[in-house]
Order: sequence, then structure tokens, then C-alpha cells
Amino acid sequence: MHPDLLLMLLADARLPVAGHTQSGSLEPAVVRGLGAAEVPAYLRLRLRTVVTVDAGTAVVARALVDSHGAAAGLGVLDRAWAARTSSPALRDAARGQGRALLRLTERLWPQGPGATALRAVESPPRAVVLGALACDLGLPGPALARLVGYDDVQTVCAAALKLVPLDPAVVTGWVRDALPRIEEMAESVAGLSEPDQVPATGAPQIEVWAQAHAHTTRRLFRA
Amino acid sequence: MPDHADPVDPTRRRPLRLGICGPVGTGKSSLIALLCRELAGSLELAVVTNDIYTDEDARFLRSAGVLEVDRIRAVETGACPHTAIRDDITANLMAAEELEGTYPFLDVVMIESGGDNLTATFSPALVDAQVFVLDVAGGGDVARKGGPGIERADLLVVNKTDLAPYVGVDVVQMLADARSARDERPVVGLSRTDRDSIDQLTAWLADVLATHRAGTLVPVDPGPMAAHGDGVGHGHGHGHAGAHQH
Ligand SMILES: Nc1nc2c(ncn2[C@@H]2O[C@H](COP(=O)(O)OP(=O)(O)OP(=O)(O)O)[C@@H](O)[C@H]2O)c(=O)[nH]1
Ligand SMILES: [Mg+2]
Repeated sequence: MHPDLLLMLLADARLPVAGHTQSGSLEPAVVRGLGAAEVPAYLRLRLRTVVTVDAGTAVVARALVDSHGAAAGLGVLDRAWAARTSSPALRDAARGQGRALLRLTERLWPQGPGATALRAVESPPRAVVLGALACDLGLPGPALARLVGYDDVQTVCAAALKLVPLDPAVVTGWVRDALPRIEEMAESVAGLSEPDQVPATGAPQIEVWAQAHAHTTRRLFRA
Repeated sequence: MPDHADPVDPTRRRPLRLGICGPVGTGKSSLIALLCRELAGSLELAVVTNDIYTDEDARFLRSAGVLEVDRIRAVETGACPHTAIRDDITANLMAAEELEGTYPFLDVVMIESGGDNLTATFSPALVDAQVFVLDVAGGGDVARKGGPGIERADLLVVNKTDLAPYVGVDVVQMLADARSARDERPVVGLSRTDRDSIDQLTAWLADVLATHRAGTLVPVDPGPMAAHGDGVGHGHGHGHAGAHQH
């Protein structure tokens, strides 16, 4: 199977992993006054911070399964990710997304060493699940890192169309303009292979917003 | 065939998953609260709510005090209430499974759709049976106009019959219209002030639960599309739907 096709499958919003419940913390940001015009800057901020953590984590998960197979100790990586994701609300949301992707993995690709290694971790975050799955599917590390970046940009932009509705072509322009930044981010993490190399680049403001969001009523998005 | 078996103990069936859908304000949350009040003594229940504004329904049910707060979970739909019960049911399935994991003795998990419109129905991969709720205040013609939920949900409830005199609706006619839109499928004219109607509702649920436990309940998709008007499909799919997966 050509890895491009698998990459498209995983990047597709139609993948049944409850992607429609996520806003990449755009909802709490908008509640606190972030305007439509600032969304492109918000995308760049995320790519430099929280997305770098997730992409680095995914790449390391992939590398660990690549070198140790089903015996890969993903628990250490899970803890490294958690230490770099300080908001409990963001961790909960990411673990929820991990469960969703794990459900699909168990249904469609249960045999691989990554799927087996994941069973040893209790409720791994999406980045860990995605990285292990990427290894099972033969996706290269740089492609995986791009996938994490691209998915985040599209998640925020799709939520923007719900929260601050505007011409969808404008929003797609934001995605296009973010592509070089995704590439930069991906290059910065593509070569990582050990848990302690995962960048510690959380964004305190996003984490605070995410934390507050989890306690609001009347929210549209999980996170 | 659907897999109703409990993954841990295959001799035990997992709880019945019952969907409650229908337009905004027709009384979905009230119906769930009513069932909790009626059945709390005999059945172990839990609820998943879906709202456009996430936890309105959950808060309503929690404040009604009819069920332990932790047994009521809210699912965010990202402003896609149809998607969450129909094409990407993941968030709801995970919430139901989490409840079933925390309370392994549950009999029924009720899932309330985010109140939206006449065309939203549940995927049979999410619920084993579904109730579509209308009310008399929405007008006497609604039942006759039909739609997937009205015509083919497992049960149609025409709620708030006590309000009929105040909104100028002929309940008998509305129920007759509903029945003729639904072939043999059941209809209950419900009011929380009408004991007999409440008994009809709980009797229906007892029946469905018995079928589920016997392993003979086959979830049926009311479909998002209009039924074929050729008469050939009449009654089709009820009780003998084709292959679908869980
Ligand atoms: N008169 C009368 N009112 C009722 C009855 N059942 C529910 N209601 C009222 O109808 C209103 C809406 O009820 P809900 O249960 O919140 O309706 P819902 O379908 O859950 O609403 P959404 O979740 O917002 O779509 C409330 O004010 C209820 O008190 C009934 O049998 N008779
Ligand atoms: Mg409600």
C-alpha cells in the first residue's frame, strides 16, 4: 500500500474519530476575544508550541515501535508528553481523542506491533496512538509530523467556520498559508527518537484557556 | 448480526441502548426523566446527552434529581448534532461504553439527541431502538407530514396531550395520522399528567428490553431518506433488517 493513501485516510476529516468535537482550543480563545483576523496567528502560535509537542511525541512513538516492536515502552513517552502538556483539560481531551483512534485501530489494524504496544498503556493520548499506528502502517516520520501539523490547522480552521463564520475560501487560504509553517515544524521534530527529546514547548495561554473551557457550560466543542 | 454480547462475560448482554430524538422542546429530556422516575426502582439506568450547547440537557436531568449525577454524561457535538448520532458516532459510543464500564450492571443507556429538526435519527450502530418525540404544540399536521423518525422510529411519542385544548389540536386525529404514517409501528399519545399513557410507554420499553435480552432485537435504521412510495418496501426492514455491523 502506498503510504500516501494511508496518509490521506488518516488526514481525512471523515475518519470516524470524533474530530468534529474538537476546536484546537479556538472556542475558548474566541470566547476571550480572539477575532477572526487573528486566527492565522493563532495557527502559527499552535504550530510553534502545543503542536510541536504533539508532533514530537508522535514521531518518537513511531521511532520506539520501529526499533522495539511490540515491546516498545510507550508508557515513558506517555509520561514525557504529559509532563509537557500541563493543562489537565488538554490532557483529558487528548486522551479522549486517543481512545477514539485506538477504537478504530483495534477494528481496522489490530495486528501490528504498534497496536500491541499500545495495549500496555492506559489511555494514551492521540499523539502516542497516532505515532504507533503510523509505524504499523509504514508511514515515515516526516510524513507523520506533517500529518499532526496539518490536522491541527484544519481542526482550528473547521471550528473557525462554525464559531466566526466567514467565506470558506478565506479559511482555506489560511490553511494554505500555514503549510510552510507546518513543514518547518515537521522538520524540527522529524528526527527525534527518544522520549526526553520531545520538545517542552507548551503555550501557557492556550493551556489556561483550555482549562477554563472544560469548566464552562454551553460549550460547543470538547476542547 | 449485531453483537449484543458483553465482551467480558458473553453470557451477559450489554445494556439496551435507547435513542431519544425529535425536534427542540418536544419533551425528550422530560421523557427520560419520566422513565427514570418510573423505572429507577426496577432497572439500572444511565443517560448520555448531546446538545448543541453541550450540557443543557445533562444539567436539566441532574437538577431533576432522578438519577445519580455521575450516570448522566454529556457529549460535545461541535455544532454537528446530526453527525454525532449518525455518521461519526464515536463520541457517543465512547460515552456509552464508559458508562457501561463504570456501571457493569446497567439495564438501559438512554441517549438524547441534540434537539434539532425533523430529519435527525440515530444510526442503528449506536442505538438498539429509538423513540421519536413530537408534541401537540408543534401543530396537528406534523405527524401527517411524516419524515424518517415519524414514520420509522421504533416508537413515536406524541407528547403533551394535556395541552391539546389550549393549542387547538385534535389529539385523536393527530394520533390517527401518526398511525397511518407508520404502518404497524407503535404510537403513544403521552402526557406526564396521564397515568395510562405513562403505563403504555413503560410497557413498550419493557417489551423492547425483553427482545433485546432474548437476543432477537435487530436495530432498524429509520433512514434519512423518504421511504419508496411503491408500497413494496412497506413493513420491510422491521425485524429483519439486513447485514449491519457493530
Ligand atoms: N404540558 C406539558 N408539558 C410538558 C410535558 N412534557 C414536557 N413538557 C414541557 O416541555 C418543555 C420542553 O421539555 P424538554 O424535556 O426540555 O424538551 P426537550 O425535547 O428535551 O428539549 P431540547 O433538549 O431543548 O430539544 C418543558 O417546559 C417541559 O416541562 C407534558 O407532558 N405536558
Ligand atoms: Mg432536552
